Amino acid sequence: MAVRLWRYGLLLLGLALLGTGAVVLAQEVKPTRYIGILVWFIGALIIHDGIIAPTVFLITVVMRKRLSKVPTVVVAIIQGALVVAGIITLIVVPEVLKKWIGTLSSSILPQNYALHLGLFYAALVLLTALAVAFYRVIFTRRQKLLSSADQA
Amino acid sequence: MQSLLYAFRQALQTPSRNPRTAVALGRLLGFAFILCFATGIYSHFIQDPLPGMHFLTRPVWLYQVTQGIHITAGIACFPLIFAKLYSIFPLLFQTPPVKGVVHLLERASIALFVASSLFEITIGLINTFQWYALFPFPFRQTHFSISFVVIGSLAIHIAVKLPIITRYWAKKNAYDENGEVKPLEEHENDDLVRLPLTDIGIGVTSRVFAWIDRAPKPKTPGTNRRGFFVTVGVAVAAVVGLTVGQSVRPLDFANIFAPRKAGVGPNALPVNRTAHAAKVIDDAMSPHWTLTVTAGNVTKDFNRKQLEAMTQYQVDLPIACVEGWSQMAHWKGPRVKDLMSRVGAKQGVSVKATSLEKGSSYAVTTMEPEFAWDDLTLIALEVDGATLDIDHGFPARLIAPARPGVLQTKWLDSIEAL
Repeated sequence: MAVRLWRYGLLLLGLALLGTGAVVLAQEVKPTRYIGILVWFIGALIIHDGIIAPTVFLITVVMRKRLSKVPTVVVAIIQGALVVAGIITLIVVPEVLKKWIGTLSSSILPQNYALHLGLFYAALVLLTALAVAFYRVIFTRRQKLLSSADQA
Repeated sequence: MQSLLYAFRQALQTPSRNPRTAVALGRLLGFAFILCFATGIYSHFIQDPLPGMHFLTRPVWLYQVTQGIHITAGIACFPLIFAKLYSIFPLLFQTPPVKGVVHLLERASIALFVASSLFEITIGLINTFQWYALFPFPFRQTHFSISFVVIGSLAIHIAVKLPIITRYWAKKNAYDENGEVKPLEEHENDDLVRLPLTDIGIGVTSRVFAWIDRAPKPKTPGTNRRGFFVTVGVAVAAVVGLTVGQSVRPLDFANIFAPRKAGVGPNALPVNRTAHAAKVIDDAMSPHWTLTVTAGNVTKDFNRKQLEAMTQYQVDLPIACVEGWSQMAHWKGPRVKDLMSRVGAKQGVSVKATSLEKGSSYAVTTMEPEFAWDDLTLIALEVDGATLDIDHGFPARLIAPARPGVLQTKWLDSIEAL
């Protein structure tokens, strides 16, 4: 009963907020601009559901096939590093492009983002290699301990 | 078609894609969205107050902190939303695609929620480095109105998914005795079970799915799930840690990706709008410049020397932008309330500030009484021990506590008691 009340309450709140959004949009943004917003909405869905998600899926499948002999933890470390690199790339590349186009103030995008991105990739590769090496050492030691325990 | 959708869902199954993951990520993302919404609404109304609204002027860093949170939480939303969408991606291919009117509305509300959320955080990010050419709409008004759509569809989404959310909210209820995520009853037969896909009989497509299906399934589901959450944590730490220095000075050393850098700009302070962009250089540098101060029928003009001859106050206040960056600075100049007294303004009235800049929506701003008559609100003539740079508003600018940078009017032309 309580869950049902919460559901109705949230549903009403959600509809009220959607209505508010529609009213504010009508008051603040000219209708001629709505098409631009709609294009962005549809574009966002296409870019995520049609490009990013299938690409991630494909990479996962290929890695699962190619690295079937590699320990799961190592695959997880490599996949994690690729995901982090991908998200940082999505956030930083627009800054690189805008800096290249130019800004109205030298305080906006004052850093060398392309160089920093390169350094970030290098650091990520290094950290990933260290994490894999660390795991290998632990894994080998554990295997040795297990086999010596078996022999004993 | 049904086979194809089913095959997609099966192929996408992985241990990290389960209702518990979706709920755990949904909590974090929902919290981040609410933080962004609350801080965004605060910034909106401090810029466009409704009649009768009053704002806190202490702590002086109130606006700085809220907007730092707004942008930082917004950036953290990127890895969180990608992870959340990853965890539920197979549901995109649910069969049958539409079961009835209610189901259609539910799916439409999710489409609206996903599209508006991605839209909102993306335009927010792009706005921080002012790439307005990408927007076929006015940023501020659109960002404001769509924020209601995001939070409204979030509330509807929670309402629709409440049974699943309550069931998987607590860890102890989400896992069985083997440490596996308990399946949802309604999907037990197809959602969480990997089935061979070689016999679905749809030609070339079936061969593709068979190729996918022959990929070895994760040997240790627990490692897969933990790895997923560690990855999300590292991604959030990376995007936040490498940008938050624009809002939090002690972390400036790690700021390599934020669109602003502390200490970079004239007077070692970042600048959003330059004198050149505002087309005020000639008027601002004119030796005949005066600040016109008005209350009712009384008007007095003050040149810079006269302003400097008044009692000078020194205050430490941040210059803080809705775009998330901020920096503390040491300002010097006469108080606004002293100037208002010189023209006999009634204490406690609002004050209108007009810039030399023409045609900008921020060229004229109104200060509510709590800001205008505050002891810390100055007509700043100096910053950090040096004369104001032209890009920071020379010959004189406003500086007030807990107020957005865009309202700290630069290149002042006049102030008037309302």
